Amino acid sequence: MKRSNVRKAALSTAVGAVLLSSAACGGGSGFEETDDPAAQPTQASAGPAQLQVLIGSSGDAETKAVTDAAAAWGAATGNTATVTPAQDLGQQLGQAFAGDTPPDVFYVDAGRFADYASVGALEPYGDKISNATDFYESLRTTFTFDGKFYCAPKDFSTLALIVNTDLWSKAGLTDADIPTTWDQLTAVGEKLKAKDITPLALGDTRDRVGAFMVQAGGWVTSADGKTATADSPENLEALTYVQKLVKDKTAQFPKQLSAGWGGEAFGKGAAAMTIEGNWIKGAMTNDFPDVKYSVHELPAGPAGKGTLSFTTCWGIAAKSKNKEAAISFVEAMTTAEQQMTYAKAFGVMPSRQSAKDAYTAEFPNDAPFVNGADYAHGPVNAPKMDSVLADFDTGIQQLTSIAPKTLLERVQKNTQAALGE
Amino acid sequence: MRLSAKARENIAGWLFVAPVIVILGLFMLLPILMAMWVSLTDWNGQGSPFKSGVPFVGFDNYSKLFTEDGLTRQDFMTSVRNNIYYVGIVVPVQTVLALGLALVVNSRMLKGKGFFRAAFFFPSVTSSVAISVVFLFIFASSGAVNNLLAFFGVQGPQWFADARGILHLVLGGLGVVDVDNPPAFLTSGGPFGLSWWDWLAGPSVAMSTIMLLVIWTTSGTFMLMFLAALQDIPVTLEEASMLDGAGRWKRLRFVTLPMLKPTLFLVLTMGIISTWQVFDQVYVMSQGAPGKTTLTPAYLSYTQAFDSFEYGTGTAISFVLFAIIVLFTIVQRWLLRERNA
Amino acid sequence: MATVRANHGARTVASTFVGYFILVFFALVFLYPFVIQLSASFKTEPNAALTPLNPVPDPFVTDAYHKVFLSTDMPLWLGNSLIVTIAITLGRVLLDSMAGYALARLRFRGRKALFSAVIAILAVPGVVLFIPKFLVLKQFGMYDTYTALILPIIADAGGVFIMKQFFESIPRSVEEAARIDGAGPWRTFWSVVLPMGRPALITLTIISFQSSWNELPHSLVAVQSPDLYTLPRGLAVLVSGSLGSGNQYPLKLGAAVLATIPVAIIFVVFQRYFVRGANEGADK
Repeated sequence: MKRSNVRKAALSTAVGAVLLSSAACGGGSGFEETDDPAAQPTQASAGPAQLQVLIGSSGDAETKAVTDAAAAWGAATGNTATVTPAQDLGQQLGQAFAGDTPPDVFYVDAGRFADYASVGALEPYGDKISNATDFYESLRTTFTFDGKFYCAPKDFSTLALIVNTDLWSKAGLTDADIPTTWDQLTAVGEKLKAKDITPLALGDTRDRVGAFMVQAGGWVTSADGKTATADSPENLEALTYVQKLVKDKTAQFPKQLSAGWGGEAFGKGAAAMTIEGNWIKGAMTNDFPDVKYSVHELPAGPAGKGTLSFTTCWGIAAKSKNKEAAISFVEAMTTAEQQMTYAKAFGVMPSRQSAKDAYTAEFPNDAPFVNGADYAHGPVNAPKMDSVLADFDTGIQQLTSIAPKTLLERVQKNTQAALGE
Repeated sequence: MRLSAKARENIAGWLFVAPVIVILGLFMLLPILMAMWVSLTDWNGQGSPFKSGVPFVGFDNYSKLFTEDGLTRQDFMTSVRNNIYYVGIVVPVQTVLALGLALVVNSRMLKGKGFFRAAFFFPSVTSSVAISVVFLFIFASSGAVNNLLAFFGVQGPQWFADARGILHLVLGGLGVVDVDNPPAFLTSGGPFGLSWWDWLAGPSVAMSTIMLLVIWTTSGTFMLMFLAALQDIPVTLEEASMLDGAGRWKRLRFVTLPMLKPTLFLVLTMGIISTWQVFDQVYVMSQGAPGKTTLTPAYLSYTQAFDSFEYGTGTAISFVLFAIIVLFTIVQRWLLRERNA
Repeated sequence: MATVRANHGARTVASTFVGYFILVFFALVFLYPFVIQLSASFKTEPNAALTPLNPVPDPFVTDAYHKVFLSTDMPLWLGNSLIVTIAITLGRVLLDSMAGYALARLRFRGRKALFSAVIAILAVPGVVLFIPKFLVLKQFGMYDTYTALILPIIADAGGVFIMKQFFESIPRSVEEAARIDGAGPWRTFWSVVLPMGRPALITLTIISFQSSWNELPHSLVAVQSPDLYTLPRGLAVLVSGSLGSGNQYPLKLGAAVLATIPVAIIFVVFQRYFVRGANEGADK
């Protein structure tokens, strides 16, 4: 009796739902929508545009700088731009794209760029920005997908070797001991360990360890992002070297030093060196103002110098109704002068080569970061790689107990699957 | 034309239930049907999933979870492993704790029953997000818990950064295995793309904090259910057993517990159903980190869809989770039926 | 005989002591985190990190609350949460009791099947509906609106179930009298049955208020723009999001305190209805 009731109920409600949904289908155009960007108006109205700008802010300083710049642009053009700092940029953008309510302009992290571009969420406007070739070539490559330069790089940063000068002299070391090769890094590590100083605090993700892969001449994917090259001998050499550093305690992960990231371990004096990007400057000034440090280019590996670059671009939504205004907004945000304002406000490096001299003049100590731009490797530029790389990070965190070859084979397999090889 | 009283009542009945039917139909049933369709496609979140251009892939999204060797399966199986340990520990502990507290609170000798009942129940009515914030603070590496442990001379771990499995730690601590160099027969293979060594990790230290939190918040509700059941036990029955000279444990074992059996089964079912759905705490506290050890199917399905644009995989995970929960419910109902018969 | 009794008395004293020890210990375990939460929200940031266990903030500062109200969107979140919670609570109380009444009392075709459907829907786990709900809201063009926050959860099967059980438990005689006086089903329901249902209505009100005030996942899939964040959503992003440097625990805990207060007040005032609610759930 009861069972038949349940069945009847399920049936009747299912029928009801089907009726409802088919009614919705027939009722209007709700279920059918054009997906052709060309069919959509690029400019909704001739009146002043109201731009929604979503940023992944590094803190109050950045939020304020962008808000000010947006207000200035609004005053100059008669439009308005509302700047909102995202709490979780990736998630918010993902839902906004799927919900057809994307902001007009937003930060796009280089690591997620290919995902967004490949599903058609981004407007490829890059070459409409004036003097687009002025952006560093490596940054342009990072934001190029299927041969199209999609979006203007906002700024960038690179990794460098940060040295605690007090601990350095305490160990009896001089500037001449600053390592410029892997061998020297190992050697200086021994000297520091002899004085009971942890030599290197190294972040336990591909965003730090990857630099060693570049120095060895390897990378996760080929340059065009189409082939997986994770299990190459170069990468194996790099990971084997890093594993040795970690096993010898020449390098320690921040977690082992009770710190959240390399800069925190370094600032606390738990290690004499760390490998971090420009952002460490702000952290040192704010949290560890008394620690003296110097910045150097990363030690070269078997294949020469190598570092990683991190960058973000100003994405414009393919579904934006205010594309003209959005491009004008990005134009204003990426002038050399505006980029210098940003550099002063929150310590990033201008993405335009024409601003390089002004930057080095303003921040002479940052030369190693800027020089890194010449040989820096950008993030993996292929869609669907996010979870593969997250898994790589998980492997790096277990580097003491996992064979580098096993790990690289795993990454290779996953990368091939993601790239659809 | 005048309607008969019966017809009028018919119409009135449908009118009364109509709003609820419409809401539940539109936002419970219809979504499930739509999601079933999406789970058979490769929809990437752009435009409508019901257009002609969306690639239909059949059961690919499901086979990716079970049979295809790849990252998706590895992540899914890791999340299932995490959740199995989570269910396996949280459900028994919270049930025993709730029952124990109910027995003590119900004891006729003690005063202040109302206060203690309220104190134990309070955590379960507050916001899971707010509680998660509090636990993040309490379990911070220099937080209250580690301070307390330091008081006893124990150095507490970095709770939320610690991906080491508890079972690994225990086995390593007993000297059964070398954690840094696990035996090859365990690491070399295992079911569903995860090695036996990985399956046997146990919950990570980070996951344990989430388990503690959930035990702490839900025990109160279940305690109330036990209390209500305890109060339904006829006093005469207890008195009779007392006159028979039955000791306290005997009375608990042979009089009280059998009377509580229906409630016990109910508490177990509700516990299992809710622990398979753990999401809020993971979303707020750990986002699956460290080392994917707090990843759960519910959270994985959410990130697959909204972060990675793999809506097909995300919905497929939802339905597998649905199946797991329904399975447990059916098994439990069946067990209950056997006992009642 | 006397020794036996003394022995018995000693055992009673001992077990009373053990009983109180257990109760007090667990009361501390269950309540002290709230004490820590409250006191840390009045501490300075370094002080909160240094003395997390100390229940007395020294120095006592209200900086965290200033910051919560001035530099986060807390007023907006509170407002949104109030709107959403009140709308959902009113909706659920009305719609669930209408449906519960019809299922309990009105004889109409398909009633039994409908009730079975309600039971079936009760069994659908909430997390399974994340992505599906999102799809439906998007398809209806409701995504990212107040409607999306409210409408999908304005009726719930659990409430219908509770109300049906309740209406079945009250005597028919009063209704019959009203009917004989010529009142239609709506009049009977509105002016006779509903007033009698006060205890159940209060229980339902409280459960609805508490669950919609605390609701996080639905907000995650229903809205995206920060203007529509409810308090739990705002709190969640405050915790995971970029607050700038430092952990800022006093600020986060202060925000969490604000999220806890309304439910705490209602809990203290209406405790017995909460208890009833938990046990109604048990009858499913």
